[in-house]
Amino acid sequence: MNDDQAREDIRIIKDMLDRTRRAASESGTLFIVWGVLITLALLGTWVLGLLKAYRWEWAVWVGVTVVGWVFSAVYGYRQDRKAAVTTYTQIAARHLYIACGAGFLLVGIALPRLGAYSYEAISILVSVVSGILFFVMGGLYEWSLLRVFGLVWWAGALGLVLVKGNDRILLYAVLFIVAYLLPICILRAKHKREQTRK
Amino acid sequence: MTAETFEPLDPVIHSPLRLAVLSILLSAKQADFGFLKKATEATDGNLSTHLAKLEETGYIRMKKSFRDKKPLTTCVLTDKGRAAFGRYVKALESYLPGRAKKP
Repeated sequence: MNDDQAREDIRIIKDMLDRTRRAASESGTLFIVWGVLITLALLGTWVLGLLKAYRWEWAVWVGVTVVGWVFSAVYGYRQDRKAAVTTYTQIAARHLYIACGAGFLLVGIALPRLGAYSYEAISILVSVVSGILFFVMGGLYEWSLLRVFGLVWWAGALGLVLVKGNDRILLYAVLFIVAYLLPICILRAKHKREQTRK
Repeated sequence: MTAETFEPLDPVIHSPLRLAVLSILLSAKQADFGFLKKATEATDGNLSTHLAKLEETGYIRMKKSFRDKKPLTTCVLTDKGRAAFGRYVKALESYLPGRAKKP
C-alpha cells in the first residue's frame, strides 16, 4: 500500500460516516407537532387570562401534553420500525427528548399543581428546560446555531422574570416563535437538503 | 536515509466495500441491508459475499427477521470488529507521509 491508497481508505471512511450522519438527520416533525400544540396552549392560557378563568389553565396544558405524548409515542414507534439505520446520535437524542419531555411535565404541570411554586413561574422554568434541549441538541448534531438558540432560551428565562402577569405569556409566545419555531424551520430545511444530497 | 516501518493492514478490512460497511456500522448501532447497499452502491450479491466474510471473521453480527412480511437483514458491529477497525485506522496512519514509525 502507498500513501495514495491510504488516503483513499480514509476518504471511504469519511464518506461513509457522512452518509450515515445525513441519513439519520433530525426531520423536526415531532418538534413541529409540539410547537403547534404549545402555541395553541399558550393562546388558550392567554385567553383564559383575559377571561380571568385562571383555574382552567392547567386543563389546557394537560390536554396538549397528553395529545403530544400519544402522538410522540406512536410516531416514534413507527419511525423505529421503518428506520434503515439507527445511529448512536439518534439514540442519545431520543433520550434527550424523553428527559426534556419529563422535565416539561414536571416543571409545567406536576410541580405547580403540587404547590411547589406559583403558575407564574412555569414559563420561566420551561424556558430553562428548553435551553437545555436546544443546547444539547446543538452538541449532538454538531450545529452551533442550535446552541445559540439554547442560550436565547436561557436569556429569555431571565427576561421573563422582569415581566409580570398576563404579559409574561405574550413575551413567552414571542420567545417561542424566535427560539423554537424559527430553529425548527431551519432544522427541517437542513434535513430536506441533506436527504436530497447524494 | 531513515528506515520507516509500516503497520500491517488487516486483510479482512483491506477491501473498499468491507471498509465502507465497517465505517457505517462504526457510527450506527445497526443498519439494514438496504441501507448498506444504497450507501455503498454495491450489488446485492457483492454485498452479501462481503458481509458473509465479515460475519465469518466475527467483525459483524447479522440478524435475520421480517418487516411487513418481507425478509430483513440487520447488521451490527461486534466488539471484535470495533477493535479491529481501530487497529486498521491506526495502521493506516503509518502509511501517510510523516506518520510512519521510526524503528
